[in-house]
Amino acid sequence: MSTSARSDIFSRLREVSRDASAEQIQRERQALGTAVAPAPPAPGLCLGFLTNVLKNRGSVDCASSRSEAVKAIGHHLYSHFRSHRLVAGNDPRLAAMPWRDAGVLPRFGSLEAGEPVALSFAQLGVVETGAILTWTGRANPAANNLLPEHHIVLVDTADLVATMEQAWERITIESEKNGRPRGINFIAGPSSTADIEGQLVYGAHGPRHWHVILLGNIPADALALARSSASV
Amino acid sequence: MEQHSDTFLENASAALKNSAQAERRDFIALFAPLIRTAAVEGFAEFDTLRAHVKRVRQHSLDHLEYYLGKFEHEAVHNGNHVHFARDGAEMNSIVLEICQQHSARRVAKGKSMVTEETGLNSFLQRAGLQVMETDLGEYIIQQAGETPSHIVAPALHKSAGEIRALFQSKHDLGARELPETVDLVSEARQVLREHFMKADVGIIGANALIAENGYSMLVTNEGNGDLCANLPRVLIVCTTIDRVLPLAQDATAMLRLLVRSATGQAQTCYTSFYSGPRRENDVDGPIETHFVLLDNKRSDILGGDYREMLECIRCGACLNHCPIYTSVGGHAYGWVYPGPMGSILTPLLTSLEQSNALPNACTSCGRCAEVCPADIPLPDLLRDLRHEETTKKLNAPRWRRGLKMHAWLARHPPLYQALTGMVIPVLNLFGRRRGSFKRLPLASGWTGQRDFPAPQKGTFMQLYKAKLKRQAAQEAKRNHEH
Ligand code: SF4
Repeated sequence: MSTSARSDIFSRLREVSRDASAEQIQRERQALGTAVAPAPPAPGLCLGFLTNVLKNRGSVDCASSRSEAVKAIGHHLYSHFRSHRLVAGNDPRLAAMPWRDAGVLPRFGSLEAGEPVALSFAQLGVVETGAILTWTGRANPAANNLLPEHHIVLVDTADLVATMEQAWERITIESEKNGRPRGINFIAGPSSTADIEGQLVYGAHGPRHWHVILLGNIPADALALARSSASV
Repeated sequence: MEQHSDTFLENASAALKNSAQAERRDFIALFAPLIRTAAVEGFAEFDTLRAHVKRVRQHSLDHLEYYLGKFEHEAVHNGNHVHFARDGAEMNSIVLEICQQHSARRVAKGKSMVTEETGLNSFLQRAGLQVMETDLGEYIIQQAGETPSHIVAPALHKSAGEIRALFQSKHDLGARELPETVDLVSEARQVLREHFMKADVGIIGANALIAENGYSMLVTNEGNGDLCANLPRVLIVCTTIDRVLPLAQDATAMLRLLVRSATGQAQTCYTSFYSGPRRENDVDGPIETHFVLLDNKRSDILGGDYREMLECIRCGACLNHCPIYTSVGGHAYGWVYPGPMGSILTPLLTSLEQSNALPNACTSCGRCAEVCPADIPLPDLLRDLRHEETTKKLNAPRWRRGLKMHAWLARHPPLYQALTGMVIPVLNLFGRRRGSFKRLPLASGWTGQRDFPAPQKGTFMQLYKAKLKRQAAQEAKRNHEH
């Protein structure tokens, strides 16, 4: 590294920066407060999240138990690929799923060439934007988010947060416990591009299809209501 | 990147003659504002957020030395190498050196306007590296040997037919014809996937750097930047020193403004934060990560009158709403950054001498400032640059003499009124029959295409005085009647 470039730049910045101690600067930032977030599209975290996922051109399913979640996964695999295979990260929550209930055959690890489907268990779902959040590590290799044709994501209703600020609070807790994750990924839709004549096409580099399964205690009419409010 | 801003007028004339491209620009001018407006209207507190983020940005820039130092500290703590570059040449050399240390041959690159600014691709290619742009738009223009025409959508000037012909000439397609847009996208996906798998180094930009935790933020819809950041064994993040924000929540607050203004979404498909190299138990990720932080006159801008320009978040909204940009397109501006933001940044980052036509490419309509999510008073900054242009005597002497004369006249109201009072009856004489002129001396460029409306009878002051007189007479009459 060129130390003289560093010292040149910093001495130039010193000349034009306002004089203040670190404590003063931090106090100043604190006084500016927190940003406003958009209101959720519908009342209730589940309904708001499902609505926004649909608006992001994801497909959605709801499951009230792990067994039902496995069946929903099996159904998705069979209807799109006539197969029961997928790749999943080494996430203990995925290892503990009752796979046999739907005859699904997961392989645990990173997606390899020729494998079309990967499954992730999201760390969080963000209602504000209809995004799911994963972080890199053994539980969710980056390739599983980025390289499959279909990316299936399980989200536990207990992991829904209203805003991106709340997502950061949860990330900070994780960072303090296990160190800062190398990569934190908000995913809000299938990979897309409008670079050719402004025409929206899915599957630019990553998944062409993004399927989110919300798992937990979900109001019975949530999915129908989400569908109608997303289509407005 | 090579600069052609000094021939803006010629570039613009040539662009106006290309009717197919003009049609695609009309499409941007129509469509982009619609999706932005819908997104902004769907978020009632957009203006409140804009004011909050503005205060945070001003605070960060006020204390940039502190926050940049803090970012560096955290980034090093996260296991990164942090480099500083005073100018583009230094940034390019640092990147090349890192590639050479790893005996790299292939580079996969995400979209980065900063590296366009420094001409990184051609520099690395001259040194023998194979550099592949992986954002679809950037890939298309790289294959075509062109430059970006828009900061968000770099290849929007090209038609699907032109892109098809390009792929036919550059790719081994066999009998495949790629009839639909989706086929073109799949073709690029296939070619680029292979490149990702073989790349030794990934290079990406950053939409923000976070001082409190040393993460950089990357915002894309394609996910190509994330492949660059995760698959190759070395990752280099190239960005500028002014991108630092104090807190993680500041980056996502800014994101709410950026994405709505750029593409009309609430969040792009991929928003990623990267902290450094792979950790002990990780199964993937680069083994070495670098930040190269460029100044290239930002510290000068910070100390000067155009400092607010550093608050630009590169959303492209001012381009999409600018009547000049949407008429002549990005290439006319002759450098990396086009439209209103480019007409300010280009003179600041290169020189006003090389680009003094750009601040004049403005109708002062004010739409750019209205939509700018960073609340930058773009028309004011453009006017200040024009003022500087005149002070430095960079515009034509004839033009300066005219302005001087106008200023002198404006300071002598009786004379000004007398003179304009004389001109208007003469003009009216020419145009009185139709209410407009077919031809005007010295303005054939204008009247060649359209008629010029004839002025009202009398100057504003004459009409105003006459109105006052009329009102006084009416008042007197009313008083008399009472
Ligand atoms: S100047 Fe404002 S509107 Fe233009 S690109 Fe920058 S942030 Fe967007």
